[in-house]
Amino acid sequence: MSKDINLSNTVAGIELKNPVLAASGTFGYGLLYEKFFDVSLLGGFVTKGLSLKPKAGNPAPRICETPSGMLNAIGLQNIGFDKFAGQKLPKLAKIDTSVIVNFFGDTIDEYVAMAERLDDTAGVHGLEMNISCPNVEKGGAAFGKDLKTTEKVVSACRDVTSKPLIVKLTPDVADIAEFARVCQARGADGISVINTVPGMAIDIRSRKPVLANITGGLSGPAIKPIAVRMVWQCYEAVNIPIFGIGGISSAEDIVEFALAGASAVQIGTMNFIDPSICVKLIDDLKVLLKELGADATGGAGGAGGYRELIGAAHKK
Amino acid sequence: MNCTVREIKILAEGFYYLSLEPDKPVGVITPGQFMMLQVSASTDPLLRRPMSVADFEPDGSRFGFVIQVTGRGTRLLASLAPGGIVDVLGPFGAGFTMPGNGSRLWIVAGGTGVAPFIGMAHQLKELDNIILFLGARSNRFLLYKDFFLKAGVKVMTATEDGSEGYRGVVTGLIKSKLENGAQPETMFTCGPSPMMKAVAEIAVDRGISCYASLESQMACGFGACLGCVTKIAGEKRYTTVCGKGPVFDVTEVTI
Repeated sequence: MSKDINLSNTVAGIELKNPVLAASGTFGYGLLYEKFFDVSLLGGFVTKGLSLKPKAGNPAPRICETPSGMLNAIGLQNIGFDKFAGQKLPKLAKIDTSVIVNFFGDTIDEYVAMAERLDDTAGVHGLEMNISCPNVEKGGAAFGKDLKTTEKVVSACRDVTSKPLIVKLTPDVADIAEFARVCQARGADGISVINTVPGMAIDIRSRKPVLANITGGLSGPAIKPIAVRMVWQCYEAVNIPIFGIGGISSAEDIVEFALAGASAVQIGTMNFIDPSICVKLIDDLKVLLKELGADATGGAGGAGGYRELIGAAHKK
Repeated sequence: MNCTVREIKILAEGFYYLSLEPDKPVGVITPGQFMMLQVSASTDPLLRRPMSVADFEPDGSRFGFVIQVTGRGTRLLASLAPGGIVDVLGPFGAGFTMPGNGSRLWIVAGGTGVAPFIGMAHQLKELDNIILFLGARSNRFLLYKDFFLKAGVKVMTATEDGSEGYRGVVTGLIKSKLENGAQPETMFTCGPSPMMKAVAEIAVDRGISCYASLESQMACGFGACLGCVTKIAGEKRYTTVCGKGPVFDVTEVTI
């Protein structure tokens, strides 16, 4: 029997058993998926975007299917920090995997307050700053589309936490590399690329937008080529690690993101369709890496097969 | 889980019955619960379709669905053939609480909304005090009428074209029954949203307890996507249809 490929790596200061994480907004607070598979098998997961106070979210309809994708305008519905820390986090401690908390605020002060609290909270292994949600009026992409605000909010949060700080970027900008550079310059440990792509759908019978919020964020396999391109551009621009996100549905997709420059990947929309897809992808990835010969330099403790692939498509 | 198609038949133009046998029995199912059916092995259409369980075996070794073709996904389900494989998740959600024996129950159903009551009729021992109000555009679409009659349920029909029973919408028929002095203890309803909304209003006005099985766009069916919400009555908060519902006390949510 051939030796199992070692997929472990430390990315942005977070220890990962493997490069497969579940993405924010598709995995609840982690507990929902325990009935489908052993969540501790994951490299980690990113919780649903969290704010200081609970948030009700947008009215329905909130989602709409599109070709190989879906639009959502959930509006960052969440239970708020106190309930998360009191009720969810103690249960997460029993799951042996890295827990990254996605957080946001309406103002820079609120982002900072969240970063402070998460810095103080045991069991939170990393912070993912959401400056890219397209479905809220304040904070979210309103911050992430402005270079100066991005600079300010990253700096301010960096000042109050020594935990790994990852910034999740919106694709809705002219040059994502500029934003990646600002994150790196202001001390971010990593970036998540990309959040959903703004889009909309109209019902031809009612002649009205399908979503109550009018516009929403497009996710799923439909956005994968956009995400691969942006991971590529960010890898050219910065040295901090990139979490690749966008329409991943197979081990082949994971390898493609690795070659573009992703040190790890996050699986999003596909969790809805197949709740145990993440573990299947981890198994499939091991098989695929062997098939691609990428395990030749791997082995326990050594450079993993996956690590060898990160950014490899950039080599001239 | 993989399920094998055991039966598929057309019920009326655009309406189908699909019966599935899972690899392993899914256990107890409550009428009103739903399952998420994958419609394509590819990513287009991407999402599973939530379907209310119709009839089922007590151990969950077989279950059926009433499917209306409304788009690409349901068309793919309707084109399945016996022996075909469908990937299914569930059962999910909270179903109807079964009425006590002898309790006066009115069921109001339209279109595929008959589905949960098929399983219920199979399960209930005493059906004497139940009236099913069945509404449709035309008599061809009074789905499962003969099944309910055979099961011993009293059926009252309403058709919009007047081809059978009361002419008009089913809620008009209910109002006329109530004005004649009849009054149930409980009402169950499942069907198009405008119908359920009207039924809920009628029930609340008269102090009749009423439970509705809501329909919603949903991506996952198990509480992760937060797509399928409905507003909690009197609050500025939402609750998931898949998790807290799909069956709700109509006084607790905004239909």
